[in-house]
Amino acid sequence: MTQPVTTPHPDRLAAIAAGTIVPAVIHPEVGAEDPVLEVADFSLWYGAKRVLHDVSLAVPRGRVTALIGPSGCGKSTLLRGVNRMNDLIDGVRTTGDMRLAGDSIYGRGVDVIELRRRMGMVFQKSNPFPMSIRDNVTYALQINGERNRGVLDAVCRRALEGAALWDEVADRLGDSALGLSGGQQQRLCIARAIAAEPEVLLMDEPCSALDPIATSRVEELILAMRGEYTVLIVTHNMQQASRVSDFTAFMYLGQVVEYGPTARLFTNPRLRETEDYITGRFG
Amino acid sequence: MSRPSRPANALLARNEPMVWLTGAGLVVGLLMVVALVGFVFWQGFATFWPGPVVSVRTTDGVVSMGEVTRSERFRPEPSVTAALAPEVVAAMQAGDGMVGRRLVRIGNFELTGEHFRWVEDFRLEPGSESLPEWAYVFERTAWGRFYGVPEAYLDGESVLSEDPAAVRAMLARAPAGAAAPAVRVRTADGVLKDLPTATIVRCYPANHLSTTGRIGVYASRWREFLSAEPREANSEGGVFPAIFGTVVMTLAMTILVVPFGVMAALYLREYAKQGWLTSIVRISINNLAGVPSIVFGVFGLGFFSYVVGGRIDALFFADALPNPTFGTGGLLWASLTLALLTLPVVIVATEEALAAVPTSMREGSFACGATQWQTIRRVVLPRALPGIMTGAILAMARGAGEVAPLMLVGAVKLAPELPVDLNFPFVHAQRSFMHLGFHIYDLGFQSQNSEAAKPMVFTTTMLLMSIVLLLNATAIWLRTRMGRSGSGSKF
Ligand SMILES: Nc1ncnc2c1ncn2[C@@H]1O[C@H](COP(=O)(O)OP(=O)(O)OP(=O)(O)O)[C@@H](O)[C@H]1O
Ligand SMILES: [Mg+2]
Repeated sequence: MTQPVTTPHPDRLAAIAAGTIVPAVIHPEVGAEDPVLEVADFSLWYGAKRVLHDVSLAVPRGRVTALIGPSGCGKSTLLRGVNRMNDLIDGVRTTGDMRLAGDSIYGRGVDVIELRRRMGMVFQKSNPFPMSIRDNVTYALQINGERNRGVLDAVCRRALEGAALWDEVADRLGDSALGLSGGQQQRLCIARAIAAEPEVLLMDEPCSALDPIATSRVEELILAMRGEYTVLIVTHNMQQASRVSDFTAFMYLGQVVEYGPTARLFTNPRLRETEDYITGRFG
Repeated sequence: MSRPSRPANALLARNEPMVWLTGAGLVVGLLMVVALVGFVFWQGFATFWPGPVVSVRTTDGVVSMGEVTRSERFRPEPSVTAALAPEVVAAMQAGDGMVGRRLVRIGNFELTGEHFRWVEDFRLEPGSESLPEWAYVFERTAWGRFYGVPEAYLDGESVLSEDPAAVRAMLARAPAGAAAPAVRVRTADGVLKDLPTATIVRCYPANHLSTTGRIGVYASRWREFLSAEPREANSEGGVFPAIFGTVVMTLAMTILVVPFGVMAALYLREYAKQGWLTSIVRISINNLAGVPSIVFGVFGLGFFSYVVGGRIDALFFADALPNPTFGTGGLLWASLTLALLTLPVVIVATEEALAAVPTSMREGSFACGATQWQTIRRVVLPRALPGIMTGAILAMARGAGEVAPLMLVGAVKLAPELPVDLNFPFVHAQRSFMHLGFHIYDLGFQSQNSEAAKPMVFTTTMLLMSIVLLLNATAIWLRTRMGRSGSGSKF
């Protein structure tokens, strides 16, 4: 192995591909923010295969942060690492840590259930539960033991309004969620994820299965959540990243390459590699 | 450039042969099912239809009167033909050497010593065949049917009336509203016999019945069949105790097997770490489904009845010993044995249903902060419910149709009491019970009067099939009702 190299590196991507750990280029604006989620030297293996290499990332509070990068670079893995969904997969091993508002995520004796309650997650494919719309939205509260019908109804309404779905389903909250259209189902999943007021909302390509109209509705939603929620979103769509996010991290083969304000990254990146990826010259 | 033509491939390429082959496979299978079910139902429905009463005299002077149950052509033994008149033999040879014969149910067992008699066509006295207008069929509580013409009704030795119309009017109300304790009947041989009206279950003038009358007799026989207890060594009467026993046993089995099977499948699929151990367990479960059911019966008898039941008897029913209470076959042990037998069906079906629940749903639930059990309880199980119900239905169908193990662990030819009744404690799990499947076996192979029992085999089979169908339909209905709020699956 070669020695860790400092910026500027002549051929970053080649070095990363060779397994070298190349420190990310992080714009100073990131440091000025108040981070709610901090990833610290996080590595992850699927069996013998290392997928994340000492990733460090600070996700600012109340902002939308986008993860971009070529397919298979570990965006989903990193996202699922935040709420420890990777625990469900056999043979996963991690090193390093993450912190949610200062609380360790991978530390010894962490209550994973309690931790997940502080986050919301929206998946690539909508996954409503086989129950009524109302029960779907209030699921997180119900499993937490909330029984009060008034509280549940209020939360249900607020979450559905937040997900811009209230007007469409207000008169059929008791119907099965599986009767909704694909776009409605995805917005329902968003409502479910924000119902418990998560400290971080994790979204893994939430629009990839949606048509343009549904996509723009979800994007509007994300824009509206800015300031209120912290969002970490994975997307393949550069336009989407530039439209909805405040910060963008470009990942490549399990490492963060460049991380900074979206406007800066898309118009004036520090690295040629980032520019090449964003303009579609590779990836 | 033209390619060499390959006709066989060209045909295959157009898919025609495979369509026909697969279609033929389906048709053959369907035909066999339809033929079997159709035959059983045809025979089953025909059993209770009242036929005419025929009277014939053979050349030896014997008169046979009764219902024709079967007619066929057969080739007589040479010793029989040798004794016949030459013109009869010549007529027989002119044909194919076969002659007709009929099986007549002559009844009157206490007088004739037989229930049925073969009447060969060549022994008939010409012109002797008739349908006696006022020949009655008497179904009795004992001794089988009686055929004859009623002549009077009487009390002891004193004749109350000999007016045929009055006698018939009295019989029309028999047995319930019979005005006299006995009726005097003349048989085809001219013998007079007094039948106590109390022993008459049903009687009707077979050759003088209108269609409505026939339907009335048919309906009344069905009513008796479905609601009454068997009589005459099961070959007559009803099968209500057997219906009851079958349904109670099947439900008890389902109640026992479903929770166990679902729990086992849940552990295997949701909690256990998948690996060679779970594979071995899975293979063993699948093999369990291939163990002959009689082996389960032997296990049930040896373990449940003798070991567990014997222990229970020693502890709680010691004063009844040496008569066993739980230490013999009974409803509980039969249900448990069949539950064991159908366990693999439930486990396999449940596992499949659980495996079909998308991982994304589980992940969605975990991401909301649900525990494993909350995820299973609220997301996985509702989604898998239709599949689990299918497993329960399959288990029910399998269990309801099983006979061999039941013979060892509690099904009996004749149970004195129902396993569930109005006497405390209402459910008598230790009682032996009657079962339609066992009843079929008993009728078909254990009956003294096998000719009379044979039609009942079909009726009982039909009934068992209908009950299984009904149980399944109920379960499917339940499943669609449950599924409506959930995943909306199809059958
Ligand atoms: N369950 C798993 N077991 C083994 N390897 C996995 C598993 N999930 C993902 N990987 C591997 O980890 C790497 C990163 O996968 P990941 O899903 O995080 O990529 P991604 O950046 O989200 O890609 P995409 O943009 O296509 O969704 C890939 O090489 C993938 O093959
Ligand atoms: Mg992904």
